[in-house]
Amino acid sequence: MSDVLAASPGSAKTRRNPLTRDLLVRWSFMLPAIILMVALLAYPIFYTLDISFSRFEITSFGAGEWVGLENYREVIADYRFWDSMKVTLIYLVFALPIQVALGFFIAYLINAPWAGRGLLRALFIIPMVVAPVVAGGMWRMILDPLWGILNYWLGLIGLGPLDWFGDANLAMAAVIIIDTWRWTPFIVLIATAAMLALPKDVFEAAKIDGCNWWSTLWSVAVPLLVPVIAATFVIRWLGAVKMFDIVLAATYGGPGKATGVVNLFIYEEAFRSLRFAEAAAMAVIVLVLTMVLTGIFLRGSRKLEEWF
Amino acid sequence: MGTVQIRNARKAYGAVEVLHGISIDIEDGEFVALVGPSGCGKSTLLRMIAGLEDITGGDILIADRVVNNVAPKDRDIAMVFQNYALYPHMNVRDNMGFALRQRRVPKPEIAERVSAAARILGLEALLDRKPRQLSGGQRQRVAMGRAIVRDPNVFLFDEPLSNLDAKLRVQMRSEIKELHQRLNTTTIYVTHDQIEAMTLADRVVVMNGGVIEQMGPPLELYDRPASLFVAAFIGSPPMNFLSGRLAEGDILLMADGTRLRLPVGDPKRRSEVTVGVRPEHFAVAETGWPAVVSVVEPTGSETQITARIAGQTIRVLVRGRFSAPPETVIHLQVAPEHVHIFDPAPLPDLAELEDVA
Repeated sequence: MSDVLAASPGSAKTRRNPLTRDLLVRWSFMLPAIILMVALLAYPIFYTLDISFSRFEITSFGAGEWVGLENYREVIADYRFWDSMKVTLIYLVFALPIQVALGFFIAYLINAPWAGRGLLRALFIIPMVVAPVVAGGMWRMILDPLWGILNYWLGLIGLGPLDWFGDANLAMAAVIIIDTWRWTPFIVLIATAAMLALPKDVFEAAKIDGCNWWSTLWSVAVPLLVPVIAATFVIRWLGAVKMFDIVLAATYGGPGKATGVVNLFIYEEAFRSLRFAEAAAMAVIVLVLTMVLTGIFLRGSRKLEEWF
Repeated sequence: MGTVQIRNARKAYGAVEVLHGISIDIEDGEFVALVGPSGCGKSTLLRMIAGLEDITGGDILIADRVVNNVAPKDRDIAMVFQNYALYPHMNVRDNMGFALRQRRVPKPEIAERVSAAARILGLEALLDRKPRQLSGGQRQRVAMGRAIVRDPNVFLFDEPLSNLDAKLRVQMRSEIKELHQRLNTTTIYVTHDQIEAMTLADRVVVMNGGVIEQMGPPLELYDRPASLFVAAFIGSPPMNFLSGRLAEGDILLMADGTRLRLPVGDPKRRSEVTVGVRPEHFAVAETGWPAVVSVVEPTGSETQITARIAGQTIRVLVRGRFSAPPETVIHLQVAPEHVHIFDPAPLPDLAELEDVA
């Protein structure tokens, strides 16, 4: 009898104990990641938010007096901000479709089993491992109007000389070319992996059903790849919004403001003009816009997948 | 019209030859099943006929034309794949009409042929569905619909039923047979399931290790297997084998000294033999080979008895009811025409043969 009485509170304890211990174990496993996330992501974001609603004190290097939306009002009224947004938009509208289309097309071309395929794939990775600033400088030399090799080649076929960094449109083209050179291989890698995962027998069925190379591509391969293409688009879109390094190294926003993307503008406002509060407000605006657009795009791509 | 001739066809991957000269003549309208264990080369041969694999040596003729270097789309064949290979982004109607669209058949004709095929296969209600909204059996039927819409010279089936559950497999099997009786199109059907091969085909080709073991009508393979392999492969439950030395013409002397009197002698007068008897050809009688019962399994219409002769496990299948407690000694008799005598050879790995899904 006494045994039972003594055991019952004990059993209740042992019932609760494993639960709290389980929780403790779970959180202790998550703790390192949480600390890292807070230190490296959450803190900077909230710090930026704080600054964007305040006057920035250079002396204490932190948020000063709370000013509400004043920074935002100022930024939204600033035509230079909207100009740089437009430049970013132009860059996105050209670079993204070109890179995704080119990436998948190259992947489709080199997907056929042949001896040099592995080597070619390895070569394709090189642009991705070159530091962006180095890539920018290298392309500056290639595209140099006077002694750049591209103008020399164009001269051989009777074109040019083109003033790659002097003309506003050409400078944008140059940035897009460099960016495409740098990022297409990444898309080729994703696309190759996606294509290797496609069901082989569907393509064999297409062969028997009478598809030629072109109709296999359009009627079978592309529709099957739509989900991956959409995902690649999102990944590249998120990367391209951050566009900064290549512009910094190749054109520094020039000529004039022709290639001055929004990140370059934010950078200059913050670290050249020391207008940290306004820069923070701009960064928040860009962040929110990116999130909204990404959401819309993801929703759209899901619709697209249902279509196919 | 839809004849297929395979003349000494060889296939090698690099230095490894997987098909060692296969010759088969298939008549117009004939249903031929290629059957064998996995890795025997049956699928490779089918894919060579389809044009999905090159032909290393020999010739393949479809409708009297050598097709070795003809593209798959120009061979006038249709193929049904094991995993159906439907176009996931197209609905049933478009899947079935796709080949016709590629051939620029006028739209009204496509619609007509698709709906005719859908009627045959009972797919009319599903024409607007995507493959992912269909069950396995329905997908299989769409894959067949895609083939018959084409009205090709030859149908090629590559293990079409192996992804279906047992019940559906039996149902689809008879649908395929019915379809063939109706359309009478030359059909080459690859399977590892000997029952499928037996029930469907006019002629069964048993392959093993890249060669043809035996080729003939199903019942001929069952009645007169040319080799131990065919004997073991065809028939379910599989044939029983007893090895030993032949003495005095018709006495089988087994390793442990057991003497079994065969109802016939070996016409070839070999001394070392393997004797095969199908489970259903044993009869339980007053005299005959003594066997020790281990398990009796009634299924109602018949009874399967597992027993031992000279320590070797054998299976016996008798019609109707039978009961005996374990360790009882029963006597088994076999009619002379049901005794198969083969050269002694290691038995094919039955576990491997029975990997039938």
